[in-house]
Formats: sequence, C-alpha cells, structure tokens
Amino acid sequence: MFILEINNISKAYGKIKALDNLSFNVPEGSVFGILGPNGSGKTTTLSIILDVLQADSGSYKWFGESPHAGLRKRIGSLLETPNLYHYLTAVQNLRITQSISGRGDDRDIEKVLKQVNLHERKNYRFSTYSLGMKQRLAIAAALLGDPKVLLLDEPTNGLDPVGIAEIRELIKSLAQSGHTIIMASHLLDEVEKVCDYVAILKQGKLIASGSVDSVLSDEDCLILSAAENRLIELMQGYKGISRVADTPEGVACFFDKGKVSAAEVNAFCFNNGIVLSQITMKKKKLEEKFFELTSTQND
Amino acid sequence: MIKNIFYTEWLKVRHYRAFWVLLSITAISFPGVNAIAYFAFKNAAEGPSQGGQLMKMLLGNPFAFPQTFHTTAYLSSFFAFIPAVVVIMLITNEFQFKTHRQNIIDGWQKHTFIWGKFISVMLITLIVTIFYMAVASTLGFIATKEVENAVLYEKAYFMLLFALQLFSQLSVAFLLGLLIRKAFIAYGIFIFYGFIIENMLVGLFKLKAKKLGYDYGHFLPFEISDRLIPVPPAIGKFNEADYKLAMDAIGQHVFYTLMLTFLVWILAFYIYKKRDL
Repeated sequence: MFILEINNISKAYGKIKALDNLSFNVPEGSVFGILGPNGSGKTTTLSIILDVLQADSGSYKWFGESPHAGLRKRIGSLLETPNLYHYLTAVQNLRITQSISGRGDDRDIEKVLKQVNLHERKNYRFSTYSLGMKQRLAIAAALLGDPKVLLLDEPTNGLDPVGIAEIRELIKSLAQSGHTIIMASHLLDEVEKVCDYVAILKQGKLIASGSVDSVLSDEDCLILSAAENRLIELMQGYKGISRVADTPEGVACFFDKGKVSAAEVNAFCFNNGIVLSQITMKKKKLEEKFFELTSTQND
Repeated sequence: MIKNIFYTEWLKVRHYRAFWVLLSITAISFPGVNAIAYFAFKNAAEGPSQGGQLMKMLLGNPFAFPQTFHTTAYLSSFFAFIPAVVVIMLITNEFQFKTHRQNIIDGWQKHTFIWGKFISVMLITLIVTIFYMAVASTLGFIATKEVENAVLYEKAYFMLLFALQLFSQLSVAFLLGLLIRKAFIAYGIFIFYGFIIENMLVGLFKLKAKKLGYDYGHFLPFEISDRLIPVPPAIGKFNEADYKLAMDAIGQHVFYTLMLTFLVWILAFYIYKKRDL
C-alpha cells in the first residue's frame, strides 16, 4: 500500500516551472528521501501535498484518499523552517499544535520534549532559542501524538553534529517502529544514511526514483589506456559492462559493484590484440553518482 | 468546531504580552479622553464666566443620562485606531512568523484560520465596547443629578452602534493586514488613509456633491460607519438641520455598514483561500 501517491503534479511561478509533471509513490513503512539540489522543487512538492501551495495541475492522495484537512492531522510535518509563535514557550507552542491537530495530550508534550532534548528549556520562549533548538522544537511538534506518518523538510538544518546524529537515530528508530517518514534533503549523505527509498529531483523534474541501493548504487570503474584506438569499441562488447566513456584520464569502463576483475579485463584485451598501458580501479563516490545523475538530465 | 477555534485563538493570545499591553492602553485611553472632555466641560460650565453659563444653559450636560451614551460613543470612536493596532498585529504576526502556514499544515482548513481571526476581531470589539459602556455609564452616574430609570437607557442603542462601527473599522484593518502582511506598512496605510486621505476625499465629494448629483463620500470605507454616530446633540445644536439629517440617516448607514463588513470578510475568506501560503 502507498501512503502517498503523487500523479503528474506541475507548478509554475510565472515563467519558472518549479515542478514539471512530477509523479512518485511512497510505500507504507518506508523512509522516503526526496533529494535534489537547492531549487529543485523539494519544498514546493511538500508544500503542495500539505495544501500550503496549490498545484497548477495533477493530483495526490494520502492514505489512498483525496486530500482533506482531516488527513493532514494524521501527519506530523516540519516544512522548511520552524514556524512557531516567537512569544510563546515550547509547551505553549505545542499546546497550539495539539489543539489544531488533535494529536496528543499534556503527557505527550512532555514526552516529545524529552525525545528532542528540550525538556529543560520547555518553559523558555521560542524567541530565546538557538536555530538548532528551534529546529528541535519543530520536530517535537511533528512528533506530537505519535503520528504514523512524518514529513520532514531538511530536518537536520541548523543542528550541530551531535544533534544531527541524534535526529538521524531518532528517524531510524521511528522507521523501525513502523512509521512512514518522508524526508526532503539536499544532503546525499543524509539520504544514504537514513532512507531506504529515494526520489531525485532536478529543476522540478523527477530524474530517478526507487530504492536507495538501486538509484544511488556505487559502481566500479576501470580506467584503461592503450595505443590502439579501437579500445572503446572492444570494451563495449565486454560481458557485464554497463557503459563506456572516453575521459581525459583514459577509457572509463563502468561495472556493477564487485562484478569486475582487472586481471580478466587485461586478459580480454590482450587476447583481442590490445596491450593496455594503464589499468586502474577507481571507486566511484556517491556524490559523483549524484552529480552524474543531475548533470546528465540537464543535457 | 467553534469551540476549538476559540480555544486555539485564546492559546495564541493568552500569554502574548504585547496584546494585553495594547488592550490596556485602549482600556486607559477611553476613560482618559472622555474624562478630559467631561472635566473641560465641567470647568467651563461651572466657572464664573458668562460664556460658561450660557453654554450650560444651551447645551445641557452632554455627559448626563441619556446623552452620555451618544457623547461618549462619539469621543471614543476617535480611538478605534488603538484596537486596530491589535488586530493588525494579530494577523501580520501570523505572516511574519509563518505560523498561519503551520496552522494549515497541522490540520486547519484555510477558512478555519479566517474564522479564528473573525472570532478574535469580534472579541476585541466586545471587550472595547464593554470599556465604552463602563465609561459611558460611570460618567452618566457622575454627571446626572437625579437618575431616573425612565431616561437612563433612552440612548443606549448607541452601544450597539458603537460596537457595529468598531467591528466594521477593525474588519477593514484586518483586511489591510491580510493583504499587506507587514505590520508597519499596514498600520501606516490604515492611519494615513483613515485620518488624512479619507477626510480629504469626504471633503472633496461634499464640494462636488451638486455636480455629481449625490454626496458619494458617504460610501467611503470609514465614512460609512463614522455616520453611525453623528456629532452629539450638544454640538449638533449649532446646525440643527444637518444634525437631524445625520440622525435620520443612521438606519441607512447601519445597512451600508453591515454590507461593507460582510463584503470585507467575504473578500478575506476568498483571498486567503486562493492565495499560496
């Protein structure tokens, strides 16, 4: 079952297309990352599915139902920045969240403040908080009443390294207890560490989606050099190769991770009359994969 | 649902110091301005000068029952700009800190948010009207030598007119806050238009009334409700014909004010529904 189904959503701000026929589904119980560089349409997507922005076209469903206010009450959400009353304390702010969403009670307020390590500052005004504390309080508001679906936009924004690690652990533990978490981030590392599904956006378009392993899978890359010009042509016929590219470093041959042996490639070339002057195994970083995905789609 | 909206709006203002400070200023300004006017009149009327005696003889005591409801409503209506600050602050704060957006994200519908503000404006109107009633009654009891029940509440309908005028003007202030979203700009426009531009337009329309065939100045946003409370009879005596016309037109202006206020809120609901947050 899908918790969220997005079908062909488009949104433009004047001449700028923020979202262009975006479609993807979020499976129940998954940690779903929406990944993309700044301005790729992540927050616009989340704003539309939270009814804060209106799509120009397309539709979405929560829990298999057409959207309505009652469904939003079942989703704990943090969108963009912590939006809370600056003159109220943490507890007073959470009471407003509680009153509007109907989620949780006074005991839950205490519980979520402990979960995000804000309990000791619970009676301080929001305006006196640091950026990280504000972010924690917004996460506490999303967690209030233990909603089964959490929607978090850049949840580790403004947190220190310890805070980042804590929130990531919290997300993982919530996922283990059956929550569905939809998380937007521009941090590849964050998505890789926390999510099991990912949708990659660029300039409002979906350029890849699926399990993190399949979309952001690491590849092995062999860089080959030889005097003969027909090396590229020869390697294109090599069994198990995914693609070949001519690069300044040499001929880059890509294989699924762990599916290539440099010795076998060397022997293959030699047997076909090419003597390699270079054979280097290059581990591809996730960042490179991400840049490759986003730049390929740009062309 | 109404109970939930009311409770949530209460949670928003309950610990909001600026809200209570401004309401307190309103609470002080109403008795303040009326007391100043009352003592100025009293000093002049009870003074040894012949002018004072003549004034007392001609005007009576505008603060005695039942005239106190009219006089106090007229004087207090000049101070609607103070609760207007509260209303503009309540709506623009929601935009400044994007809390209105969070209200929607947390599960309110857009119209629920505007209903919340409608209730807040109603409550502020009620509180300020209670201040006015307290001041009018207190001055009435002080200024009236012999209080008779028969005349006590003869002009008490000014309480309703005052409440309607205030609600209408605060609704216009709310709409400005909703449209402009920045507190200082919205308040600046409210003051500049309300005190300067509209008065100029009213004067201009009055001058051109013959040429245009009607004094359309009556239909300007603040003038519509300003005409609910004409000058008190003490001042009206100087031009009895105009005073009578103004008093006779109150009924019409109740209708116009209700229409304007209804339109303002319909517009507020529509704009907020259509707007990306």
